[in-house]
Amino acid sequence: MREAFSHRAGRIFLLVLFLDVAGLLAVTPLFSKPIIVMGWICLPFAAGIVFLLIWLCAYLVYFFKYWPFR
Amino acid sequence: MTVFILAAFGLLVLLLAVYGYKVSAKTAEDYMLAGRGIGIAVMFFFALFAISSVWTFYAYPSILYRHGPGFVYFIWGCVAGFVVLYMFIGPRLWAVCRLNRFLSPIEALSARYESPALRLLLSLVLLGSVVPYIADQSLGVGLGLKALLGFPIFVGILYISLLLILIVLLGGMRITAWVNVILGLLYTLAFLGSLVFVVVKVFPGGLSEAVSILQAKQPALLFTPGPQEKFLPHVTCIVFMLGILAFTWPHIVVSTMTAQDKTIFKWMPALALIVAGMLFYTIPFIWGAVVAPAISQMPGSLVPPVSGKAADNIVQTIVTSYLPPWFSTFVLMGVIAAAISTAAVQLMTASIIVARDIIHGVFVPRGRDQFLIRTTKLSVIAILLMSMGIAFWYPVELARYLLDLAIPGFAQWGPALVGGILWKRATKSGAIGGTVAGSAYLVAGFIHKPLLLGLPPAIPTILVNLILFVVISLLTSRPSEKVIRMFFDEVEDFLSKKA
Repeated sequence: MREAFSHRAGRIFLLVLFLDVAGLLAVTPLFSKPIIVMGWICLPFAAGIVFLLIWLCAYLVYFFKYWPFR
Repeated sequence: MTVFILAAFGLLVLLLAVYGYKVSAKTAEDYMLAGRGIGIAVMFFFALFAISSVWTFYAYPSILYRHGPGFVYFIWGCVAGFVVLYMFIGPRLWAVCRLNRFLSPIEALSARYESPALRLLLSLVLLGSVVPYIADQSLGVGLGLKALLGFPIFVGILYISLLLILIVLLGGMRITAWVNVILGLLYTLAFLGSLVFVVVKVFPGGLSEAVSILQAKQPALLFTPGPQEKFLPHVTCIVFMLGILAFTWPHIVVSTMTAQDKTIFKWMPALALIVAGMLFYTIPFIWGAVVAPAISQMPGSLVPPVSGKAADNIVQTIVTSYLPPWFSTFVLMGVIAAAISTAAVQLMTASIIVARDIIHGVFVPRGRDQFLIRTTKLSVIAILLMSMGIAFWYPVELARYLLDLAIPGFAQWGPALVGGILWKRATKSGAIGGTVAGSAYLVAGFIHKPLLLGLPPAIPTILVNLILFVVISLLTSRPSEKVIRMFFDEVEDFLSKKA
């Protein structure tokens, strides 16, 4: 984390991770709505999968292109 | 027949342990950290199955079954916590331990803060938390045997404890890692296989049919806050925070020290996010949030709705009721595999703490390698006996062993760990002050619950710990130049070199 803070790409990476966490927490009030995705997926599960996908994309770009210790 | 299969399975595990004993070098580094030679494939499954335990098989589906899907946020938090460990803390901890031949993370923190007292303190806090978690595993097997064969719970506890002693005493960390991989795959096969088998047999229309039953009979189980209104938005957020604390689980932190090289830390987050987060943990979610409640709610069900501790073995009860006996035995083998794969790593970690950080670190600092290995093995027996006592006791639901006992205790070394590895300004006084205050608050909260302000024990205690850690660190003098060089400059130089 120290190395990520020390350059611009790292700071953007950390910001994306943070905003993704904030988004995951912000959508919790919506989970009381009776919505089921694709016939069986409830909203808390769907939100988590989207959350992981965003972390995955951010990580792939940063760790394979910008991580100072790569 | 089932008893014969379980005996044969135990024998197979024993053979693995004997093989591990034969191939292991007889040094403390090899016994405790697998010679720091674990590669990426073994490391991933080692860590995944060290995390995924009987708790994942029984307790997690049990919570979803009773309270709806809100608790899935704990898993999202856990995945994020593990990824944070491998992205940010693991590489530096691994490097400093490799450069300075540290055998335990607590030993590294003791050097970082130049404090033997902190070493003893952290050891006691972590031991107090890991023992109930080991008990969770053996209790799970006891419940599984009870559901399948009607045996008293203590039979399963004895069976698993015997296997654990053999694996850890004979094999050490290397064979523990390999056993984790082999048994973990068996565990996954049993878990996924049973899910597919049940869905095909009970719900010909697939998961949508199961969801339709829930929508008609008990729709509250498909949404938050759940039937008992437990998972309100703020509770769901708190549950996520609890999950994130997974980066403090000592048996996972120790696994980072066994890495062969730094490229492991580059690849582990990908595997954690895809294989663990999106694939593996979907299995218990579907079991607990969709399949098990739908079976209990459907007309003419063989497994009517249950609550409290009775829901702990809902998965095994459904498997036993709906699938052929041979498959139930196979699933129980999966549960045993899950228990062994987690408890063996926890047992290794706890015994390293006792032998390296308490006996060697405080009482017999000049003990040699053989002494260290011997004391580690004796510690294994002592820790296992304690965990068996807690398992026999069985005071609360399985899930609460982790959430109310283990996680809050593990969290108490979080600020000292993260601060020690990532923050140059962190000081000995801050680490001791924060850990003592957080741990004391935790104990006081157990005795007098209102002190925790209605929150899960980990949350208020870690906040107090963290605030004191930061404030005291800023008010006390900086760490020595030697420490800064050892933990930051040399580590960054080492990590910047080509793998």
